[in-house]
Amino acid sequence: MRPVPAAVLLFGIAAAALLAERTASVAVLASVLLLVCLRAPGARRWPYLVGALGSAAALLLVTPFVERLPGVIYWTGPTIPVVGTLDVTSTELSGAVFNACRLAAVSLAFAAYALWLDHDRLVQAAGLARRSVLAVALATRLVPALERDAAGLVEALRGRGVEPEGLRGRARLVSPLLAGSLERSLNLAEAMDARGFGRAGATRMAQPPWGALDRLAVTGAVLAIVAGALWL
Amino acid sequence: MALAVAERVSFLYPGAAAPALRDVSVGLSPGQVTLVLGRSGSGKSTLLRAFAALIPHFHGGRFSGRVEVAGLDTRRHGPAALAGTVATLFQDPEDQVVFTRVLNEVAFGLENVGTPPSEIEARATSALAAVGAEHLAARLVTELSGGELQRVCLAATLALEPRLLLLDEPTSQLDPEAAEALVELAVALARERGTAVLMTEQRPALPLELCDRVLFLEDGSLAFDGPIAEARTWLVERHPVFVSAGGDVGVHLHHEGDVVARLDDVSFAYEDHLLVLDGAGLELRRGEVVALVGPNGSGKTTLAKLAAGLLEPLSGSVARVGRATYLSQDPGRYVFRDRADEEVAIGARGDLASARRALATVGLAGYEHRHPRDLSSGERERLALAAVLAPDPDLLILDEPTRGVDPERKEELARLLRADPSRAILVVTHDIAFAGAVADRVVSLAPERELAGV
Repeated sequence: MRPVPAAVLLFGIAAAALLAERTASVAVLASVLLLVCLRAPGARRWPYLVGALGSAAALLLVTPFVERLPGVIYWTGPTIPVVGTLDVTSTELSGAVFNACRLAAVSLAFAAYALWLDHDRLVQAAGLARRSVLAVALATRLVPALERDAAGLVEALRGRGVEPEGLRGRARLVSPLLAGSLERSLNLAEAMDARGFGRAGATRMAQPPWGALDRLAVTGAVLAIVAGALWL
Repeated sequence: MALAVAERVSFLYPGAAAPALRDVSVGLSPGQVTLVLGRSGSGKSTLLRAFAALIPHFHGGRFSGRVEVAGLDTRRHGPAALAGTVATLFQDPEDQVVFTRVLNEVAFGLENVGTPPSEIEARATSALAAVGAEHLAARLVTELSGGELQRVCLAATLALEPRLLLLDEPTSQLDPEAAEALVELAVALARERGTAVLMTEQRPALPLELCDRVLFLEDGSLAFDGPIAEARTWLVERHPVFVSAGGDVGVHLHHEGDVVARLDDVSFAYEDHLLVLDGAGLELRRGEVVALVGPNGSGKTTLAKLAAGLLEPLSGSVARVGRATYLSQDPGRYVFRDRADEEVAIGARGDLASARRALATVGLAGYEHRHPRDLSSGERERLALAAVLAPDPDLLILDEPTRGVDPERKEELARLLRADPSRAILVVTHDIAFAGAVADRVVSLAPERELAGV
């Protein structure tokens, strides 16, 4: 499948998850996307899965404590100044599960995009929005680039006999990682400038025409959005 | 008539204390290969950037004088306008890659300059073939070795068929054979297509055989500009190490001692399950310097990491006595602390006195309070070396320690290593001249995955 219809299909599924009103429907969409992500190579998929599922889990844990909705009270905690009495109700809990599934579905759709799509072809297929699509593609590559940089920094420490263990050990990587990415982005910008990026009259390498599977994916995306809005 | 001219060019980077270029005047003719030499920080890369119009357009700073390329004044025409007429290969290939697949990467410049779509793939493929990388066209750039990536980036510049080709240390990540092929290719381009080539190089032996003209920069000023024959005489008198790089560095103090590390019949494969090493062996003794050489992708770094204990072998055994430290290829990885002495002390359990001694050993006394990121690339190399020396290891492993290091600094490094009989030293390098200068023993890692002592 070509990358543009694949991206449209993923967008359609993510949109359906945002439009759907039933927790079970959103959970099914998230599960399908999770299965897609799990088929990616192990070394590449874990940062995306940790990010997507971790943020969904965090939302699930935090929401019942910050929302104040009526319902059957499952737990009552201490009273905190400004916030008030902490409690967890059935309505807050079901809302938290629903929103966590939604966030997981949208994050996993992005993860599937990052893991499976040929970003080069996506950029080349982009017409007027080529610069924006290129920026998104480069940003998508940031995760594996940061992962490689982090591995290099860990190696530089281990090469001196220092094992960066635990949260504190890993936290010392953050500053050099950020500074390193800034340095790299400047070097990349310079190289792109030297190669004529942004010059008027740019062309694109010839691409093969769309096939039946590509048209099917776009149709599937439209159907997913309609189903999300009307029935799910 | 000159294709490109720099007239009385001076340039000061934003925030810099001293100019990177001072009153430099140079003309570049079609079909001429010009080699730019000089110590690290002498302004070589800045001169190349001036011809690409990246200075002053990309970097800002204070620019005076005039640079004109193919009739275009770089004060009025930026890098994008010159792209196609000028093509630049930068020092670090990893920092210039835009796309994920090789063919698309090579096609990127062609697309930007408006090449007809039907011609782009053929020209990109042809450029890849010219650098012997046609087989890489469908590969992901993240899967390539440093040397392969360097060739892909060169192909991306050649595909543009530029009139002026700027090569900034193009062989820094290449093995000797690939480096020779690259320099010969640049010369062939100049002879056959009339391309003007301006090249900086820290392994000058081969370019000095083949180029037409040499520029030598000292602190941003042009100290020499002349044809190759005159350049050799001038270099012998003023900077002999640039023409005799790889010569003996003096008294060999070493005496072989006890075995510090032994690798027996080791094999290793990364996640892709391709066997990088198969039944390799190596013995390192205290007091000796061993150079590990071999073509790109032959497993040199893998073997070094196994010796350092950073990787575990798939099969075979690795035995070590005492402590081992490993100097990574990238000195940009030694930037965890805000002060140089604190950075160096990380491996020495925070012992600042040891860290300051190590800094002094590598010529960085007085730099203790400086931030590692504020150091020049050459100074960062030395800081990284101090960081692995400070723990006083029994086995010191240096992975490509001369990448981007000028010949004079290489000679200093060779002297430093040779004068240290207290440990075993393994140097992984593509720089055969440096290997010859520093090593008691050179071990060649062949692509057939066999080790052969030389």
